[in-house]
This record gives sequence, structure tokens and C-alpha cells, in this order.
Amino acid sequence: MAIQIIKKGIADTIQDIGRYGYQHLGIQANGFLDYQSARLANYILGNPVNAAVFEIHFPASSFCFTRNYTICITGANFVPLLNEKSIAINTPIEVKQNDILQFLKPIEGRVSYIAIQGKIKEEAWLNSHSYFANSIQKDALFEWEASSSISNKFLKNSSNQIQVFKGKTETIQEIHSLIFSTGPIQFIPGPAWKDLTEASQKAFLSTEYHIGMQANRMGYPLKGALLQLNKPNQYLSAAVTRGTLQLLPNGELMVLMADHQTIGGYANLGQIILVDLPRLAQASNQTSIHFMETTIDTAHKLYQQIEKKFIHRS
Amino acid sequence: MKTNFENMNWRLELLGDHALVFSLEEKMSEEIIEKIMALKKSIETLHFDFIKELIPSYHTLTLVYDIDLFYQNNITVKNNQSIIEFGNSLLNAFKHSTTNIDTENASEKNTSIQAEKIIQIPVCYDERLGIDLENIVSKNKISIEEIIKIHTEETYLVYCLGFLPGFAYMGKVNAAIQIARHTSPRKEVQAGSVGIAGMQTGIYPMNSPGGWQIIGRTPIKIFDKDPAILGKLSAGNRIQFYPIAFLEFEKLNEYK
Repeated sequence: MAIQIIKKGIADTIQDIGRYGYQHLGIQANGFLDYQSARLANYILGNPVNAAVFEIHFPASSFCFTRNYTICITGANFVPLLNEKSIAINTPIEVKQNDILQFLKPIEGRVSYIAIQGKIKEEAWLNSHSYFANSIQKDALFEWEASSSISNKFLKNSSNQIQVFKGKTETIQEIHSLIFSTGPIQFIPGPAWKDLTEASQKAFLSTEYHIGMQANRMGYPLKGALLQLNKPNQYLSAAVTRGTLQLLPNGELMVLMADHQTIGGYANLGQIILVDLPRLAQASNQTSIHFMETTIDTAHKLYQQIEKKFIHRS
Repeated sequence: MKTNFENMNWRLELLGDHALVFSLEEKMSEEIIEKIMALKKSIETLHFDFIKELIPSYHTLTLVYDIDLFYQNNITVKNNQSIIEFGNSLLNAFKHSTTNIDTENASEKNTSIQAEKIIQIPVCYDERLGIDLENIVSKNKISIEEIIKIHTEETYLVYCLGFLPGFAYMGKVNAAIQIARHTSPRKEVQAGSVGIAGMQTGIYPMNSPGGWQIIGRTPIKIFDKDPAILGKLSAGNRIQFYPIAFLEFEKLNEYK
């Protein structure tokens, strides 16, 4: 009785909010690449928002359900098919025994999430279910158990389709639209920002960048204007975070993402603020990316505004 | 060891919207990492629920916090401090406590790294395991026996962990056996391998790609996934290597 992987995807994993408190030992935090979409899926199902979900990249895994579950798909739209019929994202879906879930093609975004109502039945490591090196293999089995702390009763409409909790619909649309909105990516300057030449600071703030082909859970390389330091500098390694903008010795930029190492020795130009990380995580290689400097006050205000929307926080 | 902590200049900077960095002069120094670890300890004793990580590395201590929990705590306890004000209050409390210790009890000063136990780590420098020993022999004009003697007679300080779970960056390696990393990393370095990169030495806790010059291998597991064990080394630890023969290595090998 489980969810079985019948076809392996390129980089699918189980992720939750991440493994915090061990970076001083060199143990990475990992966790959701787009924490907002992942938590939205849990929110829609009434799960604790930070709980473990499937994180799906394209080409994606295919799933077979060996009993009935309620699931929700959020984030990127890879055209999910249930028994070869298209199903909606951002809404609870009831699946039956032997149903097959596949993903057809990526039409929006880079990373999709499948939440299952209940709680993953798998041992956590250091309080987290997040994978950190491997991806989900073919024939792997996963089980979710019903949790007593959640309500699995959904309102149904006249044609017996699930409706989400009253009052949630707007929030769901709002959060999804925010993640897929265009507009500048905001950052707070870091320790090496002042070491950039004036021309490089200007280029970074005024020209457009694109995500490079090698983007993965560790980091997104950026293609665009090459940047230069006033003088070549050696930095002693120091801690980095998700969203750290590293300047590589060849002048290219790399944004560190969920699977970043705990410390880094490249020039740290700044960090993208938390509310904009999901937007970057979902941006395609064609998306034009502009950067804008912001302040800690703005970043915290924006973060708290969105957090307030998740009223069923755990 | 005589330390003039009071004269050190702390800097506090934002690291984006969910971390702060406390830093001292940017150099690899025993005195500095000792001070960084003391600040870490002092913050840990305060048990703030919004502090998710305290990550030491050379001259920095990075504090990762939960934005929501910070403000929840703030409203009830801390009179609406900004995160920078909060960081400064941590620094002030720390400076105050160390000044008090210095004046009240001068002998406390000696609870420094020097007084701590030195962790002894066996290494087999057999050429079957120390696959880059020959590079150092030819580049540095030194015999294998001398390399072993120099590598084992010094004690090393752990300046930070990173790259892999449990990978400790230790220094400083004697100039006579310093060697630059391989220009392109090996696809796989075996777990337990002991390497040199410039003035640093380290142990690969697991099989991994890597560019350090490998001079031997320890049979001791330096990192274990068991939550009760995890990393055997942390920043501020002092370690010393001692040589063992190939047969003993095989007997002790915990990686089998």
C-alpha cells in the first residue's frame, strides 16, 4: 500500500523545509527549492506547511497509487495527467487505487511539488526528510499515513468535485501569481559588493541576466555582463546562505540555491531576499532577470506579509 | 597564551534578510578562531528559539535566524529591536562577559585552545594509500620519511567545517610540505584520505570528488550519519596525526 515510482525522473526528490542546526558540522540544510509553492501544496491539503512533499523536475517521474489518496500539485505546470487525463494544479485531487500520474511537458516554471494528504511514513535524518545527494529511483515505494491533526474533509460541489476550504481560493491564486510574477529580483549587498568596480556595480544593476543551462538544486549560474573586482582578492571561506550571489574568478555569477555547501570562498556580492527566491527558482532560461538593491526592512516586511497568508501554520 | 581580545575589532554585517555575520580581521589565526568560538558559545547559552544556525569559519561567525520567530520574540521580550540592534546587543553582552572574566580571574584566560585535549588521529602513509606522496617528493625535494615526520610532529587547529559533512579545514601545514591542489580534481577520493592543499590539511569523510594532494589515509571514521555521533571534529579542535603501518590500518579500518 504505497505510492510507487514507475518511471524515474531526472532529479526528483523528497523535500521538506530543510535540516537546520548542523551547518557548523558541514551538513547542508537542503529543503524545498521553491519553498512557497511547496508550502502552498501542503496548505491546500491542510497538512503542516513545512511537511515533506515530492519535488519534481522535468523530465519527471511517473507515479502509481496503490490505494486512495488526496494529493495536490503546485509550482511549475508540467501538465499533470491522471490516467492520461489532464488534471488541475493548485487544487486537491482524489486519486484511486491503481491511478497513474504522469507529467507531459513543461509549460510554466522549473520545479513542481506533489503533496500527499497526511504524513510521510519514513525515517527522518536529523529531523528532516530532505534528500541531499540522491534522487528518487525507479520502483521506490513511499507511504503517507493519515495524521489525526489534519482535517481530511473537503467541501464538495454538486458534481462531487472537491472544493478547497472556504476563503482559501483567493490566497492560493495570490501566492501562485506572486511566485510567477515578473519584476526585479531584490537583493541586499554582501561583504564583497564594495570590492566591485563602479562599472560592474552599474552593470549588475542595469543589465539583464538569464539562468544558465547548468542550473540545479545547488546553484543557478547567471549569464550576462561579466563583473570585476577593483583588485583580485582572496577571501577566507565563510558561511553562505540560499540566495548568495557569488562572483566566480572568471567574472560569472552563481546564485546558491537549496543544496548549497555550508561555506564558500568566492566573493560574496549579496543575497537575494527570501520572498524573491521562489521567483528565481521558477524562472526559465528565457526569463529576463533584473536585480534591484533593497533593504532589510523591506525584505522583512514583504516576508511577513506573505507568511500571514498561510493561516494554517504549524 | 596571551590574548588581547579587548583590542580586537568586531564587525557586524547583514548576510541577506535571514543571517548576520560577526567578523574579526580576515586572517587565518589561532587567536581569531578562538575568539569566534567563544562568541558562538556565549550566544548558544542564550537559547533564542529564532536562531537556526551558528556557523564558525576562520574569522567569521554566521547567525542564521527565522524572520517570523525573531519578530514574535521581539514583540514580547526585546522592545522592537532591529536585527542589527539585536546583533550588537549580543556583541556587547559578549564583550562585557569576557572583560569581567579577565578582571575577576586572570587564570581563566588559560582555558584557551592550547589547554584543550589534542585529538590523536592515526594515518597510514603507505604509498598504496598516500597516492600523491610522490608529487611532494619531486616538487618539494623532500623524502617520504621527512614528509611523515613533519606532518605528524605539528598539531593542527580546525578552522572550519564544510565542503562535505564533517570535512575539517586544518592548519597550518609546515612550508616544507605545502603543495597546491591538483589543477583538476580527481573523480573520486576514498573516504579517510588525508590531504594537503596549500597551508591546509584535511580528511575526506566519505568518497567524493576532490583536488587535495593525498598523503595517506586514516582508518577512523571522521563522520558518521548516526545522530549520536555525526562529526568527530569541530572548529576550534586541535588535532595531531600519528603514523601507523599498513597492516594496522587494515586491522583498524572502519570504512570496510
